[in-house]
Amino acid sequence: MKTEAPLSMNAMIPLVADTPKSKEWQRVLRRFVRNPGALVGGVLVLMAVLFALASPWLAPFDPNAGSLTERLAAPSFTGEAAGHILGADAVGRDLLSRIIYGARISLFVGIASVALSAVIGVTVGLVAGYFGGWVDDVLMRIADIKLAFPFILLAILVMAIFGTGLGKLILVLGVTGWVGFGRIVRGQVLTIKELEYVQAARSIGATHFRILGKHILPNVMSPIIVLSTLSIATNILLEAGLTFLGLGVDPSIPSWGGMLADGRIYISTAWWVATFPGVAIMLTVLGFNLLGDWLRDELDPNLRV
Amino acid sequence: MLSYVVRRLFHTLIVLFGISLIVFFAIRLTGDPAVAMFQGAGEPSKEALDQIRKALGLDKPLWQQYLLFIGDMLTGDMGVSFRNQQPVLQLIMERMGATLTLAFAGIFVAVLIAFPVGILSAVKRGSFMDMFGRIFSLIGISFPNFWLAIMLILIFAVNLQWLPASGYNGFEYLILPAISLGLILSGVLARLIRSSMLDVLHQHYIRTARAKGVAEWVVIIRHALRNALIPTITFLGLQFGALLGGVVILEQVFSWPGVGRLVIDAINDRDYPLVQGSVLILAFMLMLVNLFVDLLYGIIDPRIKLGRERS
Amino acid sequence: MKKNFLLGVTAALIGATALTACSGGSQTASSVKKEEIVVAITEDPRGSLDPIDTFLVTWGSIASNIFDGLLERGEDLKLRPGLAESWEYKDPKTLEFKLRKGVAFQNGEPFNAESVKFTFDRLLGPEGEKSPQRSNYDAIDKVEVIDEHTVVFKLKKPDPVLLTKLAGYGAMIVPPKYLKEKGDANFNTNPIGTGPFKVTEYVKDDHISMEANAKYWGGSPKVKKVKYRIIPEATTRIAELQTGAVDIAARIPASQAKTIESNKDLSLQKSGSPTVRFIRFDVSKPPMDNVKVRQAINYAIDKQAIIDKILNGYGKAISTIQGDISFGNDPNLKPYPYDPAKAKQLLHDAGVQPNTKLTLSIVGSDAVFKEVAQAVSAYLKEVGLAVEIKPQDVQTLNNDLIPKAKAGEMFQFGWGGWTLDFDNTAYLLYKKGQFWNPSYGSPEVDKLLDAERNSVSQEERQKIFYQLDKVLIDEAVDVPLYQDMTLWGVNKKVKGFVTPPDDRLRLKDVSFE
Repeated sequence: MKTEAPLSMNAMIPLVADTPKSKEWQRVLRRFVRNPGALVGGVLVLMAVLFALASPWLAPFDPNAGSLTERLAAPSFTGEAAGHILGADAVGRDLLSRIIYGARISLFVGIASVALSAVIGVTVGLVAGYFGGWVDDVLMRIADIKLAFPFILLAILVMAIFGTGLGKLILVLGVTGWVGFGRIVRGQVLTIKELEYVQAARSIGATHFRILGKHILPNVMSPIIVLSTLSIATNILLEAGLTFLGLGVDPSIPSWGGMLADGRIYISTAWWVATFPGVAIMLTVLGFNLLGDWLRDELDPNLRV
Repeated sequence: MLSYVVRRLFHTLIVLFGISLIVFFAIRLTGDPAVAMFQGAGEPSKEALDQIRKALGLDKPLWQQYLLFIGDMLTGDMGVSFRNQQPVLQLIMERMGATLTLAFAGIFVAVLIAFPVGILSAVKRGSFMDMFGRIFSLIGISFPNFWLAIMLILIFAVNLQWLPASGYNGFEYLILPAISLGLILSGVLARLIRSSMLDVLHQHYIRTARAKGVAEWVVIIRHALRNALIPTITFLGLQFGALLGGVVILEQVFSWPGVGRLVIDAINDRDYPLVQGSVLILAFMLMLVNLFVDLLYGIIDPRIKLGRERS
Repeated sequence: MKKNFLLGVTAALIGATALTACSGGSQTASSVKKEEIVVAITEDPRGSLDPIDTFLVTWGSIASNIFDGLLERGEDLKLRPGLAESWEYKDPKTLEFKLRKGVAFQNGEPFNAESVKFTFDRLLGPEGEKSPQRSNYDAIDKVEVIDEHTVVFKLKKPDPVLLTKLAGYGAMIVPPKYLKEKGDANFNTNPIGTGPFKVTEYVKDDHISMEANAKYWGGSPKVKKVKYRIIPEATTRIAELQTGAVDIAARIPASQAKTIESNKDLSLQKSGSPTVRFIRFDVSKPPMDNVKVRQAINYAIDKQAIIDKILNGYGKAISTIQGDISFGNDPNLKPYPYDPAKAKQLLHDAGVQPNTKLTLSIVGSDAVFKEVAQAVSAYLKEVGLAVEIKPQDVQTLNNDLIPKAKAGEMFQFGWGGWTLDFDNTAYLLYKKGQFWNPSYGSPEVDKLLDAERNSVSQEERQKIFYQLDKVLIDEAVDVPLYQDMTLWGVNKKVKGFVTPPDDRLRLKDVSFE
């Protein structure tokens, strides 16, 4: 699962082109390379993905092995002898290795939770927009309830009731993020369903399921992709915020957000503990945001996300 | 127009009803407020717990508690806190000053940053300026907010000693929290302004205006910027609504006595009436703000017919 | 209209900001001559300083300066006279107090026998029904006024720790006339006591300001003003201490000791605390039902390294789950030594497969223990146990998961032990069926506990406790990790600061250089 998730990012790229012809492809690629923002974003995201996929080969140490004797050992470039390139954390584990492995956790949390949001949101949006009427009313009221319920409260309630863990974290983030997808998709469906080809499909007796899946869904993919990219960035940050509030996952799991939140207290005595995970988060989030911005310009400039 | 408002208010009622159900049962799943009152100070006897539960009205069946809660709500009685017996509404309103101050100040900072950045990067699309502006505006949303806040404290309060680190005591205490919040909001805002301006900059009427020899900045401000206002107002309205619930993490780092910390403490204490009352009040306010934003929307751009759902 | 819109928005925003600028009435942190001590504490006493409403330690840190009880506990945790000059048990159910004369509340109202009676009538009457304090004092039947300065407590049943409890939060004496006139709601934020400082302003979750009560019966305080600021985030608390805006900061995490120690303007003040930290086993969950596994885990963890490294030495090793001043603690007993080889052997003997998964539930917001838990997990990994740490919400863990035996094989536990007598701790944590002990039970332990409770001879009780200590070490129901030390960060300009062992900070004798 962990290795699949980043791959699905690559799988998104062919969707960028409306027609799968190689010429269109090349044009997109050229625009991508010429756009400095997109290029930087792409490189940053690619690096994170690379870290995640190749962590066992890249990491110099076991990310979970540490000894209290090396607690808060300084980075080796400061002249410290402990041999940790970026230093060691509060229980003596190699920071660089944890950051490299952390890419897996943070990307996994980001991507899996957004995937969940997207699935719920797209389904709700399609159904609400397509069927309209009371179905639409009910679903939109549910969306309103969700929006009016403060996120942090929801997170605390969920974790107080069900406990913490990676799965629950993804669930909380996924369940909170779906409304954005739902609303955008619904709006698009409202316009698309009136279009001639949809009407035509309907008149020849295509099933609702077929119309939704075959004719409508492919045409709402652009905003979904853009919103997904931007939401991944948001969710990586939210994970850090939840750890700050004591609602994070097992602290042995090297998640960037967790490392940053737990390391904040060492900022004036052992700056490296929080700074390097912070840089990792910043670069990755920046990467996703730049990429998302470019995708939006490319796919759907009118999209307001 | 009136029927639209009425319908929206009706929706608000439905949503509030849904929220009341969720929050009522969810908070009761998190544990017993009577036990929570003893906070690790020895073990309360069963009799002591029963007595407190009875005094708090928790010995009644759940449905009865819910009906009482809804009944009180309908008569405008939000209940009293389990912890200090003060009215929930009063407790929330005491905090609104700090919360509104920070919300307005944060939005102000965000607008101050996002407009120049958004406009410049739209006008000079693809240039170095665009690139720089966008990365700058993205920096704010690339850090977890607590990290940004702690860094600001360390730089401006501890090292430079220019500003106080925390507290709620006057203008200089507001600066760091407002910048933290503003930087976060400005990222999305700048992006919105840029893309909505891009929408129109190449449109026919803009080109006509240019061809007529209207000064470029007039074109930008008058025509393009106005187009950017609608999504901006919508975004700010939604954010403002959300900010009413407080920004828990920033409040915690800056010791800001806002609504967020009140509600978090209430959850930690299992103070049922305070949690229920505050979630409902906040939801109600948020929905009113959203309705107001939608009405405003029609005023800025009369082409938009109210009642037609936005996409 | 449209033209002016942007202008309007901007004006509104500027206006709002300007408004806040005026409303604050700003103060500068560095005044010329400091007359106000600023203390940073971690949490608000939930909007009420009324002694009847609380059980929070933070209340004790603040309100010990506002109120007095008939008795008080000194820095050595021994009882000493407070508002009562002397006391005497006339019989096991009659306790007589001679009250201090010439004492007045901060509003001028005289303190006398009537105020004592009023205080306990209030606590035990309808007003006290929602009070978590009430059950502490339910041995009291009624308080009788003998004369202006003499009261008698009539008890329903003898209570050996009543005197200690009369120094506790709920027994702080409150002014009858003021309460009757101004009401209970007002008292929450405008409390009046007999203490050295009077509350002048209380802004919830922000600050509590007090001024000196020059007529205090114990002598006038040395500073004119005190301000408590509520700063929940440790990083911010330390930052404020560094900027000089705060003079005294409570709850410095032991892992942060170095930040304070390395600052030339600050000093780190420590005091012992009866609070002990340990990991408990849920013996109903295999393999925790096997005593060998429990012992193995005790051998596998290097507790001294945890104390030395993570706590920076600010903690004490313990052999059972009681502190060194607890009655019943056998000083000759040693904690389990660090012996991973023996641990492996025991696990092997118990038939535990390598990489057996165990859960350790911890309080997610406890930054120090989070590190301790990770160190524990690393030690257990070395002997072949795979620990998953589960951060939990503190209330959920203590009041829901642990009592219902749902906290996993292992869980974090902290215990105050404020009675300084092992009786309470041992009974509540080892007697089967107690709230926090749903799983463990042993006829031998039960027998010892009952014997101790039924004995009136301290000597005999101590003997029983020593016996119990040994049994508990062999049974290894928990991993006693360390006894806490409370750390305060104090600016070196502050004189006369005494670290309170019970968090009940008293500022009367504190001054500036």
